[in-house]
Amino acid sequence: MTRILVVAETALRELVRRRTVLIILLLFPLAFYLSRRGDHLGQSIRFVCLGLGWALSTAALFAGSAARGIEPRLRLSGYGSLHLVLGRLLALWTVGVLLSAPYFLLILVDQHDVRYGAIALVMALTVLVAVPFGLLLSAVLPRELEGTLVLLTVVGLQMVMDPASTATRALPFWFSREIGTYAIDHTDGGYLTRGLVQGLSFAVALTLLVAVAAAVRLRQRRHLRFA
Amino acid sequence: MNHNAWLAALTGELRRHGVGPDLTGHVVAEAATHLAESGESPLRVFGPPDAYARAVADSLGGPDVRPPRRHPGPVRLAARGITKRYRGRTVLDRVDLTVRAGEIAAVVGANGAGKSTFLRICAGLLSPDAGTVAVHGTLGYCPQDGGTAEFLNPDEHFVLIGAGRGLGRAAARRAGRAGAAALEWTPPPRTQARHLSGGTRQKLNLVLARLGEPDVLLLDEPYQGFDRGTYLDFWHEVWRWRDAGKAVVVVTHLLNQLDRVDTVLDLTASRERDA
Repeated sequence: MTRILVVAETALRELVRRRTVLIILLLFPLAFYLSRRGDHLGQSIRFVCLGLGWALSTAALFAGSAARGIEPRLRLSGYGSLHLVLGRLLALWTVGVLLSAPYFLLILVDQHDVRYGAIALVMALTVLVAVPFGLLLSAVLPRELEGTLVLLTVVGLQMVMDPASTATRALPFWFSREIGTYAIDHTDGGYLTRGLVQGLSFAVALTLLVAVAAAVRLRQRRHLRFA
Repeated sequence: MNHNAWLAALTGELRRHGVGPDLTGHVVAEAATHLAESGESPLRVFGPPDAYARAVADSLGGPDVRPPRRHPGPVRLAARGITKRYRGRTVLDRVDLTVRAGEIAAVVGANGAGKSTFLRICAGLLSPDAGTVAVHGTLGYCPQDGGTAEFLNPDEHFVLIGAGRGLGRAAARRAGRAGAAALEWTPPPRTQARHLSGGTRQKLNLVLARLGEPDVLLLDEPYQGFDRGTYLDFWHEVWRWRDAGKAVVVVTHLLNQLDRVDTVLDLTASRERDA
């Protein structure tokens, strides 16, 4: 546990010291919110959640890429790959919660006649999904530019594709549209259930994939034997 | 002074100090590689050419002030039949190396001979095409570059690596600072690694490799960017580790220390055999 907490603490320290990144992270979802604030209040909630997901995935992608250099050394120093993954997830999930809180307060103040609990759920799922999604991209795409382009494609598709089509369910943030509709348009509980199942499934699958990718990349090679 | 002018001046100064052409070629090639990779000013990294040449010459002819050696102990690292090919080209061909507790092995060879590749295979960071490595004890590794986190200060590095080794925060900081002091370095408490000079970052790298007293130390040209004093301190530390019963493997270009190590693995010979 100590090792996980030390990794989480150092990952947080590294992120906090990138002040410009932090400011952009904080303001990025606001731009999404304000972009639809004038014409469609409900849509601005969907957009801010998508903005949060995009910002957090990008932060996780860059944090994961930056850690690639030191992780083999940490592995040799006695860390297991799971210590490194869980520590980094913990740090980024904390950042996600801290990032989402002011936007939830903004919605509480600025929006009426919406289901606040469901909006909190969308934000929580967004944090849970976005972090492992960004870390997974950093694990499978060693160059940040490639990961950024994939992120851009996913979020772009998420914004332009019809949420009713089956194909959009394969996108990681589909749940935010579904639960968002439940929260904003007061639709039936089916929207909530479908969104919850998809969001949780993605959160679990992505987290497992991140752990597997790290275990493979940082595995003890077969030729090396410790006696 | 630009790189080429500095390297030309260094060549002349080494000759003036009586350094032979082979070693001059090695020293200049190593300095050129480091400067090209780091992009740093040669005056900042190595100092004036005459001073650096004098340091090299002095270390060649200086008195051997090593402490008395102990008898080597049990085998700590045994690499057998290591073979590695890149794109059809054999870089390492059936390379063997045995290092015992209380021994220093130097891995030498021309640029591209596979020295770093061999060390990465020994550290388990890279898989060979054939061969095995057996390590008896714990392993510490100092990479040629990287291995530090840009936004963390030295103390935070000590805590991070120390936690992996099972050290508490205070113990890790103490151990790190003691290792730094042996290299005549006092880690600045708030300076992040990205703001350290190339040589100072290498000191941090070296201290991290040593943290937790691993039984086997793999050092990949750890003295890059060291000034003369630190370079000599480094070798004194290596001898001290050997006398403390550690097995040390050092990748090096600087052949002047080879008479002071126990085993020399020349990878140039491996490639020539293959050719």
